[in-house]
Amino acid sequence: MTGLDTAADPVVVERLTKRYGRTTAVEDLSFTLNAGTITGFLGPNGAGKSTTLRLLLGLAAPTSGTAFVFGRPYAELASPARAVGAILESGDFHPARAGRGHLRMLALAAGIGWERVDEVLDRVELGAAAASRPVRTYSMGMRQRLGLAAALLGNPRLLLLDEPINGLDPTGVHWLRTALRGFAADGGTVLVSSHVLAEVAQTVDRVLIINGGRLLADAAIDELAGGRNLEDAYLQLTAEAAS
Amino acid sequence: MIAQIRSEAYKLATTRTNAGIAAAIVGLVSLAVLLHAFGLPVEKLGNQYQQRGIFIDVGVNLGILFAALLGALSITSEFRTGTIRPTLLVTPRRAQVIAAKTLCVLLAGAVTGVLAAGTAAGAGSIGLTIRGVTVELTAGDVTRLLVGAGAAGALWAAIGLGVGAVIRAQVPTIVGLFAWVLFIENVLGGDLPSAHRFVPGALAQALGGQVRDGILTSAALAAVLLAGYAAVAAITGMSAMLRRDVA
Repeated sequence: MTGLDTAADPVVVERLTKRYGRTTAVEDLSFTLNAGTITGFLGPNGAGKSTTLRLLLGLAAPTSGTAFVFGRPYAELASPARAVGAILESGDFHPARAGRGHLRMLALAAGIGWERVDEVLDRVELGAAAASRPVRTYSMGMRQRLGLAAALLGNPRLLLLDEPINGLDPTGVHWLRTALRGFAADGGTVLVSSHVLAEVAQTVDRVLIINGGRLLADAAIDELAGGRNLEDAYLQLTAEAAS
Repeated sequence: MIAQIRSEAYKLATTRTNAGIAAAIVGLVSLAVLLHAFGLPVEKLGNQYQQRGIFIDVGVNLGILFAALLGALSITSEFRTGTIRPTLLVTPRRAQVIAAKTLCVLLAGAVTGVLAAGTAAGAGSIGLTIRGVTVELTAGDVTRLLVGAGAAGALWAAIGLGVGAVIRAQVPTIVGLFAWVLFIENVLGGDLPSAHRFVPGALAQALGGQVRDGILTSAALAAVLLAGYAAVAAITGMSAMLRRDVA
């Protein structure tokens, strides 16, 4: 039992603002994600994507506005790992701990049985030998797979993924695309940030584009591109915002 | 809460940091106590009071130093490696994370204190015997040393955790703790014994049974005061964790 409010939209962000001193990282941002969709979260470096994800995940507190998952702040979810899976940075591992150890540590805290650790390792195709090695020996792609295994550990209904494609080889990218589509087809919801627009165009249903912490576009991918490719639409929107 | 405690205990068990700390304690404490046992003139080593003083100086001081290090690393290494993020994603109620860490480091700190004191008493006794000096310590002295060092180690680990949770950065935290134990407390002990009695390192010595100027004679009072320091550190650390963003 996850105690999850499945009637609520998976993500509702309303008038979200985050300031660090005089710097505004996110400003008056509002959007909603519907169940069963994959949404691309796009914007230049420093646009506020990662900050938005941290606010959604309760790692940072908003200056004003709200960021709710399944109808409540992340920290108030009864069993967060079973509701939301996230990849924030590929470096979030202890270098001396084995990949399997990292997942077991999280499973213990989440009250998830260790057999699930081996299931998700299989799912992300991180072999038994690799899983037993310390994370310091991993390639970037292996770290991403381990991060994804951690995100999937609680069999969540929402995935918040920050640059999950970074460092993946072409097979890995294809695998991730297929996995995300399968996840959404089963009713799961995905918010995925990326700079690889060609890949985003192949994977997502919708895009959110932000710049300077403000929302520039929130549209279905076909509407936004309007006959152009995603890259042209993105470049035009971000150039307009900068001028 | 039980789940988080299990996770924290697993963290302590799955990196080599603690094995490294244990090895460093045995090595450094043995070296320090043997330097005393072989380096000091016999007239400064002969009686019960002198021997107890040396064992407590070496065992308790290094014990609390490493216990504080262990407590601090339990949180600063999470910030350094980034594992604090997955930890807080699974357990977003941060007070639970700090409470679970506190319980785990209290236990690990106690073991650290006992290990350091035991090594000091063991290696020191062997050193004295080899030098032909009779070991005058009673079973009561040794028991008091081990129990006191265990309690002091536990409480100092909680102090280290609290300091680490506030400072977050690993190097400044460790430098600060080491400077306090090795330098500032020593200066206070020499120059201001009346104030030195109430600082946390001197309280640890009092728990171990040290009898000298600048050390409280009441173990009960020392225990209460040191527990107070540990509680203040842990609560300050918890409140810093609750208040501040995790980047």
